[in-house]
Amino acid sequence: MHPTVPVRHSLTRRQLRTAVLFLAPAVAAIVLLRLVPFLGAAWSTLFERAGVGLLAEERFAGFDNYVTLFGDPLFLNTLVRTIVFNLVINPVQIALAMAIAVLMTRRIPGRGIWRTAVFIPCTIPLVGSSIAWGVALRGDGPVNGILSALGIGPQPFLTSPTQALPSIILVASWVGIGYWMLFLIGGLNDINNEVYEAASIDGASGWRTFWSITLPLMKRPLLFVLVADTVANFVLFVPPQLLTNGGPEESTTLLMFDAYRRTYTYSQPNLGATSTLVLTLIMLLIVAIQFRLLRERD
Amino acid sequence: MRRLSTIGLAAGMSVALLLSACGGGGESASSDASQAWTVPTSDPTASINVVGILDPKTDGMDNVVAAFEKEHPTIKVNYQHVPFDNLNSVLDSRITAKTGDPDVFWVDQPRVPALATRGYLEDLTSQLSDKTSGLQEATVTSSSFDKKLYSLPISNSTQILFYNKDLLDKAGVAAPSVDDASRITWQQLKSDAKSVQDKGGAQHGLLFGQPNRYYQLEPLPVSAGGGIGASGEGNLTPEINNEGWVKAMTYYGSLFSDKVTPRGIPAEQSDATFLAGKTAYMVEGNWMVGKLADSKLNWGAALNPVWEGGEPASPNGSWSVGMNPFSKNKEAAAIFMKWLAIDGESGYAKYRSYAELPANIEGLKSYLASSAFTGSEGGKQAAQVVKHETENTSVGRVSTVGYIEFEDIVGRAFSDIANGTDPKKALDSAQSQLVTAWKQYE
Repeated sequence: MHPTVPVRHSLTRRQLRTAVLFLAPAVAAIVLLRLVPFLGAAWSTLFERAGVGLLAEERFAGFDNYVTLFGDPLFLNTLVRTIVFNLVINPVQIALAMAIAVLMTRRIPGRGIWRTAVFIPCTIPLVGSSIAWGVALRGDGPVNGILSALGIGPQPFLTSPTQALPSIILVASWVGIGYWMLFLIGGLNDINNEVYEAASIDGASGWRTFWSITLPLMKRPLLFVLVADTVANFVLFVPPQLLTNGGPEESTTLLMFDAYRRTYTYSQPNLGATSTLVLTLIMLLIVAIQFRLLRERD
Repeated sequence: MRRLSTIGLAAGMSVALLLSACGGGGESASSDASQAWTVPTSDPTASINVVGILDPKTDGMDNVVAAFEKEHPTIKVNYQHVPFDNLNSVLDSRITAKTGDPDVFWVDQPRVPALATRGYLEDLTSQLSDKTSGLQEATVTSSSFDKKLYSLPISNSTQILFYNKDLLDKAGVAAPSVDDASRITWQQLKSDAKSVQDKGGAQHGLLFGQPNRYYQLEPLPVSAGGGIGASGEGNLTPEINNEGWVKAMTYYGSLFSDKVTPRGIPAEQSDATFLAGKTAYMVEGNWMVGKLADSKLNWGAALNPVWEGGEPASPNGSWSVGMNPFSKNKEAAAIFMKWLAIDGESGYAKYRSYAELPANIEGLKSYLASSAFTGSEGGKQAAQVVKHETENTSVGRVSTVGYIEFEDIVGRAFSDIANGTDPKKALDSAQSQLVTAWKQYE
């Protein structure tokens, strides 16, 4: 940090003006498109509607919406489910993305083809891939055809309360892994080869090199991927909406879908906003913990 | 590090975008929405936005719009297609933005009370209610709420029991009847379907065109004596876990657990599955007749099944068109709506091939005289079924301001039952969810 202090002092007016000019569009966008709506929504959680729907007049309700939500067992179950879902899907996606990224930076034949194959799912809109997976996982679909041929027998997948959420994890990861892999490959390529050479001269094994060199040097890209992936999965919406409608037996109702349903299906926009605010706060808390855990020591 | 936390925070804040959608539109509904307007005798020059659930090409809406613009050259119709599942959220966000766009939109008839209560529908009573004598009465009733006309019906519907003749013949199973006196029961249908699977080599015994949807399944509990699903003032007391409902839904669940009906085939894929020729029976809407007439399948049509010892019941209702109270082109919008629903045979029925049953009486006559209903034995049977069911056994969906929640919660319970949840447990849970959701209307 020290060297930057004198530089900051010597900023001329001109430089300052340039900096403001360049930063202004981004700051304006963040304020107008993120902060203002966010604060508006946070404010609206303190109100309720005098009638039904979005056109009805609002009146102040204090923390009534929070009391209603936290007194609703369906919401509490959804809250726990969303947190557990994230505790499973994020490590799984990142571990697999990391493993594949390491594999893809090795000298393997046809590396470009493999990379493209892993990345292609990210180029398909989630709606399209969800529909395709919906067909694939049908009772008489191709996945069950393969399982039957292998002697495992058909599985209920999206129609079973115990298999539906894992199936959603599969669909989301099919897209997610390739996407996060790209960032990790970028990080891996940035690691100086000399460090690896030094390690091999010292006689370090492959595992040892990975744990003591690759992982510590990947902290920054890993932190970015971890945070961005957590955010993406906390607001995951399309697969449950398209494939299971939150079922069977609410087993795939995640907070984002809950907020959508309260707002649009049940016409309770203020409760929907409250649900989303709770989601945001929990997500920020988890992201803060992630930052703490992966903080680089100066 | 600091830069990264900003990125993380900004990414986290992206949720705020969604929040803004949830929190928007807070002002009062009592704006200048109720300006006086009439249905003019000469056309104004205007351009109107119309949102509908039909594809412009494959569902033929382009032809309908072109025919209207030819007859009314000064009014331009900008038709926008929104899929059925997204219609409600699109209307929610666009109508409450109060820009008057869209001017006209497709209205699911059972949602009329809910949409009218939310202030999404212009009251058409004084301008158009004296012009509805050429429409089937049941469809006008379901387009109205609280004795006011809130939309104009363009279509109606009923359900037909279709069967694959070749598969039934192969299994030696007698075809179900078009005669009310010997209408097949749900119980008989299940055992016949099983026989066609066992002896006729059918992959699926029975398909539902709209699995797990209240519209198609309502006749089951009604026929089993469980009622339409709600009672009391404004139909705001849920009645979905009584004996009749549990009986009917236990039967429904058994179709799936006994592998007569396959799990996991959504409504969008069911028609194609039946047309593939490996399914014995399918309960589906009248819109299937056109698709079957174009296919090579050897098919027949019969009356809807009845519960053993119960009264026959069949679903009805379909689509209406409604006007945005914030529209800036109400007169042009009214001319388009009137042309679509009322004028002559109704523009909607006349210019849309494969249309649903027209709500317009003259339109219905021509519809049933078309080649799909006269060109084959199956078509003739279907015409007979349509006539009999719409005149004698049709039961409307429950009319309540809480219909949107009702349909969603009941649909999820049906889906759980189909997937193996205990019917009583699923219906009890849905009942209590509905009680909670309807508290806001008390």
